[in-house]
Amino acid sequence: MTAPLIHKSSTAPADGPDTSAPAPPVATPGRNRERRRWSGRSRKDFVVFLAMALPNLVLIGTFTYWPLINNIYYSTLDWTLGSASATVVGLQNYVTFFTGEDASKVLGTTAVFTLVTVGGSMVLGLLVALALNAKVRGTTLARSAVFAPYVLSGVGVGLVWLFIFDPGYGVLAWILRGLGQQSPQWINDPQLSLVMVIIVYVWKNLGYCAVVYLAGLQSLPRDVMEAAALDGANGIRRFLSISLPLLSPTTFFLLITTMLSSLQAFDLIRIMTPLGNGTSTLIYEAYLQAFGAYNRAGYSAAISVILFAILLIITVLQLRFVERKVHYS
Amino acid sequence: MRTNLDRRHFLGLAGLGAGAAALAACGGPSTAGTADAVDPATIDFSGVKPAASIDFWTNHPGKSQDVEKAIIDKFHAKFPDIKVNLVTAGANYEEIAQKFQTSQAAKTGLPGLVVLSDVWWFRYFSNGSIIPLDGLVKQLDIKIDDFQKSLVDDYKYDNKQWALPYGRSTPLFYYNKDHFKAAGLPDRAPATWQEFAEWAPKLKASSGAQYAYIYPALAGYAGWTLQNNLWGWGGSWSRDWDITCDSKESVAALQWAQDSIYKDGWAGVSSKEAADDFAAGLTSSTISSTGSLLGVLKAAKFNVGVGFLPGGPQVTSGVCPTGGAGLGIPSGISKEEQLAAATFLKFMTEPENTAAFSAATGYMPTRLSADMSTVLATTPQIKIAMDQLAATKVQDNARVFLPGADQEMAKSAAKILTQQGDVQATMTELKKTLEGIYTKDVKPKLKA
Repeated sequence: MTAPLIHKSSTAPADGPDTSAPAPPVATPGRNRERRRWSGRSRKDFVVFLAMALPNLVLIGTFTYWPLINNIYYSTLDWTLGSASATVVGLQNYVTFFTGEDASKVLGTTAVFTLVTVGGSMVLGLLVALALNAKVRGTTLARSAVFAPYVLSGVGVGLVWLFIFDPGYGVLAWILRGLGQQSPQWINDPQLSLVMVIIVYVWKNLGYCAVVYLAGLQSLPRDVMEAAALDGANGIRRFLSISLPLLSPTTFFLLITTMLSSLQAFDLIRIMTPLGNGTSTLIYEAYLQAFGAYNRAGYSAAISVILFAILLIITVLQLRFVERKVHYS
Repeated sequence: MRTNLDRRHFLGLAGLGAGAAALAACGGPSTAGTADAVDPATIDFSGVKPAASIDFWTNHPGKSQDVEKAIIDKFHAKFPDIKVNLVTAGANYEEIAQKFQTSQAAKTGLPGLVVLSDVWWFRYFSNGSIIPLDGLVKQLDIKIDDFQKSLVDDYKYDNKQWALPYGRSTPLFYYNKDHFKAAGLPDRAPATWQEFAEWAPKLKASSGAQYAYIYPALAGYAGWTLQNNLWGWGGSWSRDWDITCDSKESVAALQWAQDSIYKDGWAGVSSKEAADDFAAGLTSSTISSTGSLLGVLKAAKFNVGVGFLPGGPQVTSGVCPTGGAGLGIPSGISKEEQLAAATFLKFMTEPENTAAFSAATGYMPTRLSADMSTVLATTPQIKIAMDQLAATKVQDNARVFLPGADQEMAKSAAKILTQQGDVQATMTELKKTLEGIYTKDVKPKLKA
């Protein structure tokens, strides 16, 4: 890995060969001197590099890339989890997914869940950040309160909200009964289940967006805002024309992180809707197919690969296209 | 973001990918076409010495952790050379199955003895994950004839015994005696659902409860308890391997259930656990497992009555399915561990231990010779569950043998009972799904 440093070095000695011409694959006295000089340093650098990077590389290789490669292989098998044997079926699992009902249902649920949770968390987070940015008493406490759900365990949050949403004796049902209304079937109705999980997910994550946006708002240049105010721009105008464009690096950062996080949301869905009835996003469908009742490990691996491809494409697209619209200064 | 993917880099990456894939193929399941079946010839335990320690994986059905611990302590006193480690392997049958299947795939960490539910044991059998117990039954002189026949026969396939009954249950009709009395109703479970339909408006009017009856939670085991309704109307999820959930009888049963919620307005659907809803006073009656009996009796602040499941307009008796869990021994462990596990299995299912387990949970005693007199003196309601056993029926194949069928049934029930979906269309769709599962996952593994 240090080789390019040696051969592409622009500080080649004057008595070395002409580097503009293709170098013959023979050792020259100048090169040997350079290699000797480099070899001492590069060896030391390499040892330091290994000491620093190797443990991480081994961990990442073992727990990220190795399972990833294995998973791609498993996606080509018709394999029942728990069975010692499997049949190689090539791309059949992918064909089954895309030609069956699963694709439209699961991809649709994933799209709705991701778009609404990302949009909801970011828009509400920005509004909360604007409120917290105001110079009034109690904002420190409010800031902590808003951020707290983000650091809570998803399992605990899910269980508490299940009690709130329970149509039989939940808090919400109690309030609705007081108003003479019946509680909707939040848990049993697939469509309402998705709404329920989205509400809880946004509640849990908007604090993160709010705090990041707040940091962005507090770093905006005051002089530009004051100049705009002197020019007669009102608050909304200043927000839309100055604050929002200048917050675009923050927005871009949040867009990537919250979207990746939403696409991988698992704990709330698992706790609140164990059957995944109406809430089966790609990642939850992959879990259900392998570890739920079906035990279709090969098919589940194919869904995981599809999710991986989607995450990769979204990240590349965001980096290539969305980042161009970002104002960094 | 510039990429310099020239031909050399591309070929390098492709080579790396192919190498990695080839390396990955070295792990995981065999693709050489080997069968999963356990070779009975290898199940010979003569000359084998039991292992010194085994794990017992359980989800503590019916909150049985304390009684399981007590039985293990007794076992240690009798067999000091075998240590049994009680492992909470999940909160329900599905979680324990998940852990077991994953360990099976990882080929490591398997227990000596595992709790397996009615919908899981057949899958373990077809994957070759459990051993037939016949040899061990003979060697250890386990009195098979003393087990409740219908319960032990549930685990028979291909003339072999694949598990023994443990926390076995049936659904039971639970009712609030106080509500029934206030409504001027007799102190008993209804004989049929038609009779209950006459009682329900009176119950709802006088009890103050939200519902006269609540259907069990769909995320639980809706496919299990709804068999009662289906059978009462002359329908079923399946007959042998023919899927019959879309028959006119099955559709009529589920239409009646839907009407009880939307048209008549006296029934609801539990969101989490019907037994808890009942014990909390949310409903005047429900159907839940006998395994919930002790929990309900402890939690309820009213007089609890239990009875047989109601019949339907076509069939009035024999409309109660069996259910619950058994115990099996994994194939992927040493013979020493299998023998130690079988020794513990024999002890766990001894008459006095099954009686103790029954007393602590409400599950049925699995042995005919179990002395239940003390248990029944303190919890007479268990007698109803025991008596109902004579009127039980083996579950529909579609529910217990098709992987994921229970979940598909629950989803269809949700569509009908919580979204007022069209019953016929939903059942036609379910039939298509279940037939697909049968053709792909079960039919190829069945013996001709």
